[in-house]
Amino acid sequence: MTMTGAAVAGGRGDIARTSLRGRIENHPFSWLLPVALLLGVFYLYPIIDVFRLAFTNASLRGGEEHYTADSIHALIANPILLDILWTTFVFTAGSVIGQQLFGLGIAVLVMRGERRRLYGMTALRTIVLIAWVIPGIANGLIWQMLFSEAPFGAINSVLRMMHVQPVAWLSDPNIAMLSSIISNVWRGTAFSMIVFYAALKAIDTTLYEAASVDGANGWQRFRFITLPQMRPAILVNSILITIATLNTFDAIISLTGGGPGRATEVLSLYTFNTVFRNLDLAGGSVLSVLMLIISLLLAVGYASMMPRREPNE
Amino acid sequence: MRRQFRVALLATVATLVAGAASAQDLITKDRVGPADAPKTLSFRLTGDGPGNTDPEIAKGYQKLFVDFVQKHPGWQIKLERMSDNIGQEQARMLEQTKSGTGPDCAAVDSFVLALFMNAGVLKPLNEYFTQAEIDDLFPFVREGITGKDGKVYAWWWDTDLRVLYRNKDIVADAPQTWDELKAAAIASKDKGMEGVLVNGGRWEGTTFDWLANYWAQGGKLVDDKGKPIFAEGENREKFLKAVNYFKDLVDSGAAPKRIATIVNYDEFNAAAAAGSTALFIGGNWQLAQLKATLEPEEFAKWTFSPIPGPTKDQRSTGTGGWTIGAFSSDPEKVAMCAGIAKEIYSGQGNALQQQLPTSKALYDKFDVFKSDANKAFAAALVDGQARPGVPIYPEISNQIQVMMGDVLTGAKTPEAALDAANAAVQAAYTRL
Repeated sequence: MTMTGAAVAGGRGDIARTSLRGRIENHPFSWLLPVALLLGVFYLYPIIDVFRLAFTNASLRGGEEHYTADSIHALIANPILLDILWTTFVFTAGSVIGQQLFGLGIAVLVMRGERRRLYGMTALRTIVLIAWVIPGIANGLIWQMLFSEAPFGAINSVLRMMHVQPVAWLSDPNIAMLSSIISNVWRGTAFSMIVFYAALKAIDTTLYEAASVDGANGWQRFRFITLPQMRPAILVNSILITIATLNTFDAIISLTGGGPGRATEVLSLYTFNTVFRNLDLAGGSVLSVLMLIISLLLAVGYASMMPRREPNE
Repeated sequence: MRRQFRVALLATVATLVAGAASAQDLITKDRVGPADAPKTLSFRLTGDGPGNTDPEIAKGYQKLFVDFVQKHPGWQIKLERMSDNIGQEQARMLEQTKSGTGPDCAAVDSFVLALFMNAGVLKPLNEYFTQAEIDDLFPFVREGITGKDGKVYAWWWDTDLRVLYRNKDIVADAPQTWDELKAAAIASKDKGMEGVLVNGGRWEGTTFDWLANYWAQGGKLVDDKGKPIFAEGENREKFLKAVNYFKDLVDSGAAPKRIATIVNYDEFNAAAAAGSTALFIGGNWQLAQLKATLEPEEFAKWTFSPIPGPTKDQRSTGTGGWTIGAFSSDPEKVAMCAGIAKEIYSGQGNALQQQLPTSKALYDKFDVFKSDANKAFAAALVDGQARPGVPIYPEISNQIQVMMGDVLTGAKTPEAALDAANAAVQAAYTRL
């Protein structure tokens, strides 16, 4: 090939690439259409339909469906709702704080172990991750066996052997909430651990070296370097696990069923019960919209606390 | 001669192998009948079928299904197995059948049958059963499957009931009344037992088992129009009396506080196997489970009697069970569905699983129901009461479960808990 020929060929390639880029840049809609369709059909449409159902009297029992605000009024007038929201707040706050604390603790432990080249750090990470991959229903059943108040219940049997009074893990309304939080923290800690472990790995080690030169002790290094550096990870993790905990009902339904009474009936479980036990599709839709609003508000609240990038960054 | 014998033997073996292969081809995990059969019936079923976890029962059902499909050439049955979350499965099926995407034929839990009948999704089955067969059903069964127009909309093929199980070595005589049960339970604690066990957690079993104490006094949950009336007039008194009875069992120590967490009949089997209880209120099917779980000499100590009432003469027991209903608009499929109910489940299926039949004639037809235990269960069905077939029942049940938890844990007084339950039920009723 002559020089001219090569130049022409190269020029054609450039033209083709420019043309392709130009077509994408000038007509992005056609390229985004498949994913927009997918998201629209599987995510957006159900959300719109839930909003629509919230303004109807729809029921799984049958009967004519018509548009009304009665379902929304019924929810507002429902005296149980405040109790349910309080239960949800306690469960979510307890779970989020517990998962973050334990996740951070384990991540720091693993990091320190790796720095000191201790054996078993990978095994430790793997063991923590096992809890995470266990399905919610199985998690509830495992903890139900552990918390069982029968004479052969696992934890109470150990307590008896130690001459300690057995605990009413699931039959006492207050302790039942604590038991639900413990089981959820056990399952969710691994996710926080992964996020924090990745964030810890990304911290520049020269910061710690400089702090050591300045005479900072371990707590000061953690307080003034680790925590500020991990702020974005902690906030992102907070958003994700708060929303995940708000949606948790499988672990609770198999552990306590929401009982005793309504002691552990969180908003997601109440929504599930409204649709699948009361067969009230409209009522369940109103509750779903409420859950969506709470999740969005929390997400916006957390996001507003995220550190902003400077324009010159 | 020898050669002829060999040929005959080979032919026999070949035929048997071919026959066996053919039978295996006729049933898979999700299909019965030839895969290329032109007509298809979709059948949604519970564990009562070829996929039963007990290999013997599964084998028995496989044979019943294969025999059935061979009698109906040109058909294949697509099996759709429900999960164990029956409440959710039935709610989903109701929604599907309303939108026309449900199965052609399905198992419908008797306590939600009214919801399906009210939704108008079931097809009448009268022409597939004789009037004599319908008349032979127990009254509560016949009433449950009959619509307002007098037509039969499902076939209720098995039933169950609740009884008081006891370890005869520890509780020699059957308690007849509430007071006798309380005394026997407290006495059993002196022998290392934890008292009487009953369902008390957030699930249908709690409502159903406790209702026997309310029904025994003649209490009614709903009036003739289906309006909840359990918190009105005499019903309120009876309701509170039955709630206070359970509360007293816990407060006096006759029942452990943990009953507020029991959401599974298996807990009673586990306690019996661990030797930690001598008394529990359970289902008739648990007798076979105890037999399978306990050592023979331990099982011999266990027996059962009717649930104690406020007095010896005031008795009741909750009866449930499964029905088969047809949703298809195709008359041929409705006929096949009725055939499944009649030829597989009603009678043969009862005998296979030792589940109590719903008609008197079947107790005489099958030997398994002539045992002393099954005769006693059949006799106890006289006091049987089914849950009301009204659309508000699931919400009534839900509120009774919440109420029971609140009362047993001391979170609310029985009166306050009843008022809260009634307010929630009435609010739901006005939205129906």
